[in-house]
Amino acid sequence: MCGIVGCIGRGDETLDVLLGGLRSLEYRGYDSAGIAMGPAGDVLKRSGELDALEDALETSPLTGTFGIGHTRWSTHGPPTDRNAHPHTDEAGRVAVVHNGIIENYSELKTALEADGVTFSSDTDTEVVPHLIAQALDQGDSPETAFHNTVDKLEGSYAIAAIIDGEETIYAARQGSPLVVGVSDEGTFLASDVPAFVEHTRDVVFLEDGHRVIATPSGYTVVDKDRQPVEVDIETVSYTADETGKSGYDHYMLKEIYEQPTSLRQSFSGRVDALEGTITLEEVDDIPRPNAVQFVACGTSYHAALYGAALLRERGIPAEAYLASEYALSPPPLTLGTLVVGITQSGETADTLAALRDAQSRGVTTLALTNTVNSTAARECDHALYIRAGPEIGVAATKTFSSQLIGCNLLVEELVETAQDRRPLIESLRDLPGDVQEVLDTSNAATLAEEYLDSEAYFFIGRGANVSVALEGALKCKEISYEHAEGFPAGELKHGPLALVTPETPVFAIVTGDDERARKTLGSIKEVQARGAPVIAVTDGQSTAAEIADAVLEIPETHHRVAPVLANVQLQLFSYYVANKLGRPIDKPRNLAKSVTVE
Amino acid sequence: MSEPTASSSPSSAIVLAAGEGTRLRPLTANRPKPMLPAGTRPILENVLNAVIEAGVDEIHLVVGYRASRVRSHFGSTYRGVPLEYHTQDNQLGSGHALLQARDGPDGSFLLVNGDQVIDHCIVEAVTATHDDNAATLAVVEGEDAPAYGAVTLDGSQITELVEQPQTGEYRLFNAGVYAFDQTIFGTLEQLAVDRGSLPLTDGIKHLLADNKTVAGVRTDEFWMDATHPWDLLALSRELLSRGWINLPQTDTNIYVDDSASVHPDATLIGPVALDQDVVVEAGAVVGPYAAVGENVTIGPNAVLRDVVVDTGTTVGPATTAIELVVGQDCTLQADLTVAGGPADVVLNETVYSDVNLGGVIADRVDVGGNATLEAGALIGPDATVGPGVVVRGTIEAESEVVR
Repeated sequence: MCGIVGCIGRGDETLDVLLGGLRSLEYRGYDSAGIAMGPAGDVLKRSGELDALEDALETSPLTGTFGIGHTRWSTHGPPTDRNAHPHTDEAGRVAVVHNGIIENYSELKTALEADGVTFSSDTDTEVVPHLIAQALDQGDSPETAFHNTVDKLEGSYAIAAIIDGEETIYAARQGSPLVVGVSDEGTFLASDVPAFVEHTRDVVFLEDGHRVIATPSGYTVVDKDRQPVEVDIETVSYTADETGKSGYDHYMLKEIYEQPTSLRQSFSGRVDALEGTITLEEVDDIPRPNAVQFVACGTSYHAALYGAALLRERGIPAEAYLASEYALSPPPLTLGTLVVGITQSGETADTLAALRDAQSRGVTTLALTNTVNSTAARECDHALYIRAGPEIGVAATKTFSSQLIGCNLLVEELVETAQDRRPLIESLRDLPGDVQEVLDTSNAATLAEEYLDSEAYFFIGRGANVSVALEGALKCKEISYEHAEGFPAGELKHGPLALVTPETPVFAIVTGDDERARKTLGSIKEVQARGAPVIAVTDGQSTAAEIADAVLEIPETHHRVAPVLANVQLQLFSYYVANKLGRPIDKPRNLAKSVTVE
Repeated sequence: MSEPTASSSPSSAIVLAAGEGTRLRPLTANRPKPMLPAGTRPILENVLNAVIEAGVDEIHLVVGYRASRVRSHFGSTYRGVPLEYHTQDNQLGSGHALLQARDGPDGSFLLVNGDQVIDHCIVEAVTATHDDNAATLAVVEGEDAPAYGAVTLDGSQITELVEQPQTGEYRLFNAGVYAFDQTIFGTLEQLAVDRGSLPLTDGIKHLLADNKTVAGVRTDEFWMDATHPWDLLALSRELLSRGWINLPQTDTNIYVDDSASVHPDATLIGPVALDQDVVVEAGAVVGPYAAVGENVTIGPNAVLRDVVVDTGTTVGPATTAIELVVGQDCTLQADLTVAGGPADVVLNETVYSDVNLGGVIADRVDVGGNATLEAGALIGPDATVGPGVVVRGTIEAESEVVR
């Protein structure tokens, strides 16, 4: 995915605002970056991280009083200077930045080439400046040229353009995020609020089909028919301070250490310890569903597996689906099914596609997300916010923990019961302290050192701990680039056991002392018999700690809350492995924070 | 063209928050002294409030021991003021700590100890006086001078610094609030070469020896340090009495966060402060002088007076506790009795007589039902006390006491 920014009305500070914005969006992509500034219309772009662009600015500075910028994660064409945004028409009159995919770009490109236009990049985006230029040549006014061009585009896009001779930024949103920051001292455009939150907290969340015409004196929002639309200005609660690194070496470590606070925010005001009740005001009008289908990708999918397991435990049929599969091979739905999309950003294209498919089939949808007013939150019938606060590290940590809590709360909201919720509520209230205990006492750094040169890392668990095993492995892959796999423990002997050797440590997540825990002890013995060292992630209720070669200890708690604690230990382990290997932890290769393209 | 101003009053501050505070063990097992509670919030929060109220717009925090606790609590800004962190890997004294932030402020700056509660007027007085002195110190008068760094003043000039003097002739002492120009860094760097530990006062003595101007500002504004675990009770009492509680006031001397829930049949007696997400169950009587930290649960019919209960702790039903300090994330089962002081407390082989202390319970302690703390009992972190146990004296960290 990519990030775009724009700024007008800020005079000489424009370049600094754009660079600051790109810096805070760098988590969205870091293959290349570029800026175009008006009124001169000069463009500077470089492949590589933002530093490369800043170095280039030292020797060839840009000046101007308004501009647009882009940070890119390649989907079309390799990350080169040539493919970096902004893109321009042949004469350099129009500069465009774009996030998303223009699905009909090859037709448009063929038609333009037939008209004699020469393309200079491999990107889908480049059709946009050429189309605008063509419209200008045909006598359209700049604004009309922009609208007519956007009308021709199919796919998903957030676009911003500047055109020679006009002190204006033109922007459009369709399927990709775009927000407008509003203030007396300038108008800001960006893919995400942190890009301008140090300048204003007053935000207009655009809807699909909206277009923005911003000038030094203000902005107007119009719809596809060029009719002005009324928009609400909302004040976002978080400030720039929450997006700094606070002296930690990496955002990921900062976010791991924030979990006692972020978890408390997730349940604060939603659990009533006096009455023993759980109330989610946002979703309290959802009737008990006949069945629940979760759709999600990546880490959120692991939270979905956990949520589905909890619902089944409480007697509601539930399944988790990978969103990218769901939209293409939709499972049967009955009325009375609730479809829950889990997406941290609320902009994950695959999850949005799955939710839209469900909606088109007439069932109720709910977004479980961290991002207020995100596309998922606005398009679904209901939105439940996990309130984890901004997460910048590409590898999800605190948001996964809060997604698990969100699932717990949602399950209790959906299931009418006479069952006493106090034990669960007490465990939730103890959770911030329990996580702090793990953070204070974890030996994960030592174990990371000890097992650093392993051939692969395996993670096993049963029941709700399957999610933790899969997530532990994903985290390890993402940031350390080491081979890691997670399995339900019972599946080992049906195949994966062939991979187990003395060089492959196995992390066994064993909480409680029930049948699942006892069976996992059997799995531990299976892998030990093949010489693999076993690290038990355990609360000490079973004998796992005694038979394992090493232990990552967690405090004893409710069986539904224990996976959160086990996962914190594995977050720390992956972090320390990646750190010792010198990986770029906050920006792992080939990955982006949220994937807004299908 | 306008002339550049000769000197401007310092607008950035360095706050020292790296030290463990060994005399406050066992409470500092998991966090540095500045993160111990003054009322319901860390001491350091109070210090940052004071420097911000005095007009500082840039803060450098020197962190070391258990640094993540400071970083995670405050983040990258506090009350809109940017915080920059500097790490002191080994705690080699306050002068060494200051050196870690030498790349921080330009020009003159304030230096404040992060582990003492101060009135912002002290900071303002130092700022106003500093001008182009090499150093300016806030000086307070009191009986306690021998326990701190004593000073002698000639007019507004400091003439002598004496660390913990053994004689009773000194009545003025250094309040731990300073302003410096950049000279101090060079002086400390020079001294650091051949030293293991480097107290800040050595640097100041060196400035005096070099005939630099070291000024003192006398102040009688509020200043308070916690030296021993029971001092947290007095600190909390002071803040509650003064209303230095950053929570909504719901009645006279009663401070309750919006997210706290108090059962209608519970009683709050001011001064009392309940921070975020606190739960007080039916029949409980909390206060006077109760500081209850975030996410604490107080069980039915518990009676708490003169207590500091730190974040995440659960106080069981029918607990009676007077003059008790409880750390974070403890579980106290039903019917605990802490009857209060006075007591003779033994700490690090020193006997302190007649201390008004019911007991101190460090972080993550589990106390079984119907237990009793005899006055002055100290329970180390992660200890487990069995049901019905009568605790006397000191219980070591992580130990299990069954009778």
